[in-house]
Amino acid sequence: MPKSVLSIIRIHNELLGTYGDRGNADVLAFRAAARGIKAEVVDISYREALPESGDIYLLGGAEDAAQVLSTEALMKSGIKNAIDSGATLLAICAGFQIIGNSYYAHGAKCDGVGLLDMETVPGTRRYVGDIKVHSPWCESDITGFENHGGQTLLGKELSPFGSVISGFGNGDGQVDGAVDGNIFGTYMHGPVLARNPEFADLLLARATGKILEPFIDELANRYAEVRRKVIN
Amino acid sequence: MKPARLQFALAVASLAGLLSRRLLKRPGETLPGRILLALYPNALAELSRGRRIILVSGTNGKTSTTKALAKFVATLGEVATSPSGSNLTRGAAGILMQPHKLAVIEVDELHLPGVVKAVHPEIVLLLNLTRDQLHRMHEVKRVADRWHEMVKTNPTTLFIGDIDDPFINYALSSATRKRSISFGGRTHQDGAVCPQCGKYMNWNGVHYSSECGLTNNTADISLPAGSAAYRNNELAKIVAHEFGITDSEGSTELRELERRVVKQYGKVSASFRLTKNPASWVEALAGVEGNRVILILNAREVDGIDTSWLWDISYASLKGKEVVVTGERGIDLAYRLHAEGVTATLVENFESALAHFASGTVEVLAAYTAFHGLVM
Repeated sequence: MPKSVLSIIRIHNELLGTYGDRGNADVLAFRAAARGIKAEVVDISYREALPESGDIYLLGGAEDAAQVLSTEALMKSGIKNAIDSGATLLAICAGFQIIGNSYYAHGAKCDGVGLLDMETVPGTRRYVGDIKVHSPWCESDITGFENHGGQTLLGKELSPFGSVISGFGNGDGQVDGAVDGNIFGTYMHGPVLARNPEFADLLLARATGKILEPFIDELANRYAEVRRKVIN
Repeated sequence: MKPARLQFALAVASLAGLLSRRLLKRPGETLPGRILLALYPNALAELSRGRRIILVSGTNGKTSTTKALAKFVATLGEVATSPSGSNLTRGAAGILMQPHKLAVIEVDELHLPGVVKAVHPEIVLLLNLTRDQLHRMHEVKRVADRWHEMVKTNPTTLFIGDIDDPFINYALSSATRKRSISFGGRTHQDGAVCPQCGKYMNWNGVHYSSECGLTNNTADISLPAGSAAYRNNELAKIVAHEFGITDSEGSTELRELERRVVKQYGKVSASFRLTKNPASWVEALAGVEGNRVILILNAREVDGIDTSWLWDISYASLKGKEVVVTGERGIDLAYRLHAEGVTATLVENFESALAHFASGTVEVLAAYTAFHGLVM
């Protein structure tokens, strides 16, 4: 992060804000500020041009029609350039689906943004409930809440974010999400960074390119611990 | 004359309700309806014959608006109505077991289409649709689609609704008989996409207009803006008027419509409000008058089992106040406040929260199950 202020860009929250994922930006800014890293959260709506200068980009969960609109806007944007020049992306649920090659909305197949080699097809049911995942990128298990109807099939070269301990994840109950370079995708709401400070710090470290100073937030750690304990 | 099997089912259901109340000391609100529907699945349709029925539904304000409306309707005669929030299909069946010709019934959003189909109500009041219990509703649009279909397929019913909510407008747009009301417009958290055509909605302040023509710029009745309690009271008055009641001016206290309940605990006077989703939180936070606040969060089935929506609300107005957080998921809320820079004390239970204040008045914002457990 060569700039003086860490820029956290929350993309289309008015469209992709159905399931509380806006909080991921707030948690990132909070944990950055606690370490003396200046950070700003910038909301970019559907009709605004997406800046390519962001350090962290965030996509959240949404309903079908909103998901389609957001995809259209993202396809015209420079998000790929931003990622290629080193920015970090966290994409949740519908936001995760649309960055693949294709997904379904209102029963019809739609082209995705194509940042990840994967496709999402309609699942056999709606996947709703608490979820716990073991991810090789984090020491502690990651917890969240999933609420979706998609089954995401990863391309051969694409790694999942983690293996599912409890819940459905990408729909098969085996793995959740995907990771490619600095792109992280998952089905976990919560918001996932509020419930898992270690995951938040992982993204901050990626975005700043630095080893973060330690920050012990007792309440955050206790919260994460409580969620890990109750989901089995 | 009711069919013999229905009469038998009614007798069994009534007896079960009586036993449940007398022997088990339970309120016995849902049990009779449940038994009735098990013994006689068509009971709702049979019992609604020859009656004048009003149904009330929406994400927020169902219970208080039903109460206010029942009061208005009572000027015409005795009214069968919901004593509290038992609003599923079985609750409606239980209410129609009461003998009165007039009925005002609160119905859950997802159960509404089925109840409308069975009872052919004279009027249905649609209050609002916002994000709530998404683990069960899944999407706001999904509920609105069902309502749209329900309105379309019930041409004899008069549907009345607040079209400042685009989802209500969309539901009403298929009506044969409707009254649309606008309170001068307001923003809607889920209103970015037109529920009718799926295009990006054009918002101009608190007014929206979609490419397909859906808008709150024109309504059958236009009223001044105001709090949710005020709006619900006005909507109840319009329903009462359509029902043939001429004198319904100001007979309900707005505080009652806010469901503000005051209880005394030793030296502490606690004023409760129900906060169960982002819209009701925003409304309740705006109504906080004092500097001492208890917040209670649970996440049982009826509360919504996910708490992610806590992040859709700003709690900045609580900064500088003495805030105590509790409830089964109190820690979720405590961390949310912490990340927004609101200082709060997290305690184990409501008793400890009261003990924290020792005396004086305190405002309590409580999740659905906490509210019902403490004040109902």
